[in-house]
Amino acid sequence: MINELDIILETSSKIFSKYITHELRYDFNNNPSLMKLWTDIEEQGLTKIIVKEEFLGSALPFTSILPVIQMSAKMGVPLPFTETIICNYLFSELNLEPPTGMITFALDTQNIKISNNKISGDLLSVPYLNLTNKIILVQEIDGVKHFIFIENKNGSLKNKKNFLSEPRFDLNIKDCEILNIQKLSLDINFNHIGSIVRSAQMVGSMEKVINLSIDYCSQRVQFGRSLSKFQAIQHQISEMAVELAASNAALSSLKITNKTMPKLDDIAILKIRTGIAAGKLIAISHQVHGAMGFTKEYELSYFTKNLNSWRNDFGNESYWQNILGKNFLEKTNLSLWEYLTN
Amino acid sequence: MSQFNFPSIQETKELSDLRLEVRMFLSKAIQNNEFKPSPDAWVFSADPEFSKKIGAQGWLGMSFPKKYGGHERTALERYIVTEELLASGAPVAAHWIADRQSGSQILRFGTEEQKKLIIPKITCGECYFAIGMSEPDSGSDLASVKTKATKINDGWNLEGRKIWSTGAHLSNYMIVLARTSPALKDNRHEGLSQFLVDLSLPNISINGIEDMTGQKHFNETLFDNVILKKDALLGEEGKGWSQVVGELALERSGPERFLSHFTLLDAFIGEFRNVLLKSGSNLIGKIIAELQTLRRMSFSVASMLQNSQSPETQAAFVKELGNKFEKTMVESLRELSDIIPLHQWPSLLQNLFEDATLRIPSNSLRGGTTEIMKGIIARQLGLR
Repeated sequence: MINELDIILETSSKIFSKYITHELRYDFNNNPSLMKLWTDIEEQGLTKIIVKEEFLGSALPFTSILPVIQMSAKMGVPLPFTETIICNYLFSELNLEPPTGMITFALDTQNIKISNNKISGDLLSVPYLNLTNKIILVQEIDGVKHFIFIENKNGSLKNKKNFLSEPRFDLNIKDCEILNIQKLSLDINFNHIGSIVRSAQMVGSMEKVINLSIDYCSQRVQFGRSLSKFQAIQHQISEMAVELAASNAALSSLKITNKTMPKLDDIAILKIRTGIAAGKLIAISHQVHGAMGFTKEYELSYFTKNLNSWRNDFGNESYWQNILGKNFLEKTNLSLWEYLTN
Repeated sequence: MSQFNFPSIQETKELSDLRLEVRMFLSKAIQNNEFKPSPDAWVFSADPEFSKKIGAQGWLGMSFPKKYGGHERTALERYIVTEELLASGAPVAAHWIADRQSGSQILRFGTEEQKKLIIPKITCGECYFAIGMSEPDSGSDLASVKTKATKINDGWNLEGRKIWSTGAHLSNYMIVLARTSPALKDNRHEGLSQFLVDLSLPNISINGIEDMTGQKHFNETLFDNVILKKDALLGEEGKGWSQVVGELALERSGPERFLSHFTLLDAFIGEFRNVLLKSGSNLIGKIIAELQTLRRMSFSVASMLQNSQSPETQAAFVKELGNKFEKTMVESLRELSDIIPLHQWPSLLQNLFEDATLRIPSNSLRGGTTEIMKGIIARQLGLR
């Protein structure tokens, strides 16, 4: 299994680096290279690593996808790669054949009405609707979470103008046909899955942000020496490294729980720890880059904008801190030490 | 950047059983009034009788070879025991340094005679060590030490001054870093050596220094032409620097870097759990996330030590992050005093809080400052 994963990582890295340029990241309109990149990704089965064998997937356990997602974020793949992986996984877990092509998901919904197999309402913060119209949403109906699959045909799109470097949209749909609707069992928690993959993406992006900072500070000369020779700069970059190390530790503690989905606590810890780290890295990396990091032409901001967006997806630090804190405090028969060492 | 990786290590059933065994022993000791849980106990709370009891349980020198009285258990097992001792606030200061770093240093570099003489006493909890690194003029700049050992007929003449040596007044030995030949122009790390110094020898004076909390745990130790036998040299002459670097990995990566004030946190939650449920879960959640991550990192470093890797950089990560965590932890508890004013806290808790507040500045000084940790990390990143 280890070997299989190594091969997958090597393949992914080759495919990604063959096509990706910084210009491509902001070319949202079906650029031919982008489409070729996607074809290669699909042909190599990278979107089906955790899909069951009967649907032609590699059937690896859920957590084995994390290093791949981490790498795609580190290389700044401007496609709904992670989104498609997760949607395909949901299809597969529900024993449905995943569709081909890119799929995305709605982070949230509002005013949803369903009747006669048609759905209307607002889908909020949907990534990459410029590249696909296949969407999954998770909607609570009579207290039960449902998986709903639609193809947007004539909904009205609003391009979100926020800090995102990935394209995102709010979508209003009216009487859109539901292609599939299924009850979600309790062991498939969309919010948990989303938190985990966004954290893995953050770790990947943070690696890139540190590498960029080291390279920039080593090359940029001021006051007659490179910035990296100034102790003030060295300490700032060290601080980023410390935060990345902590995030890495939180992520690798998930990677070994291969059989089932990770525990609630571990997911909370991961999302909190990477969210805190991301906040620090955004601030410090821009500080050491000076004005150059503030330009669109230079790579840094693509990654820091993604970090800003991902740390807010599926519950920010506060959201998870409350859950984690309550989860412990309510277990009044356990002392903190007993809880931590349980 | 493999130094950023902290492979996840699972706590096995055997380790959890050991954990419970230690925990039961400690809670019984608390019930029998053998000790009162205290903060920062690995520095401030020394009790030789208690150290002997821990030794009798087989919990000192756990990874040392059996032929020297050790127990040949793993670094992970030792980790579990140290965590439980710290979390309970047990008085472990007497043996802490000997068990953590000096014993390993002797096993790696000492003579057969030294091992036979000293290691069994460490594992019994009867032999204590102080660290002989800092000097009045050499703190963070350790390579600048001036303490000098000069070769004489059948041994060495030691001359100099060591400072901030925690527990030296209770200790049997100090491992002293001294210059045995002048520094090379382009490499100050050459010419340093480590010495195993018996503190009962003549011409050694140990003077306590009162710290800002009013306690005397650290000392200035004066070596006024102390005559050492030939075999007091620990390891190789001139290789003291690389030996010290290895010792520091043991010193910096352990759970004392983030569990020094756990007794405060535990008592605080015990007292105010209901209030926290209403309005403090956010804060407690953050503390849990940070603390649990640190535990995993430190446990991971223990497994690296077990596998004979040299995790100096990872140790710096743990220390830096752990120090920062404890400072913010104490500060966040203080912030909750808007709900429950400090003067309304039970007096025991107030005492713990005041102790922590006063002692916390030393966290990021002892064992290497924040600035030194960041420097180590920056070097690994290729920045210096």
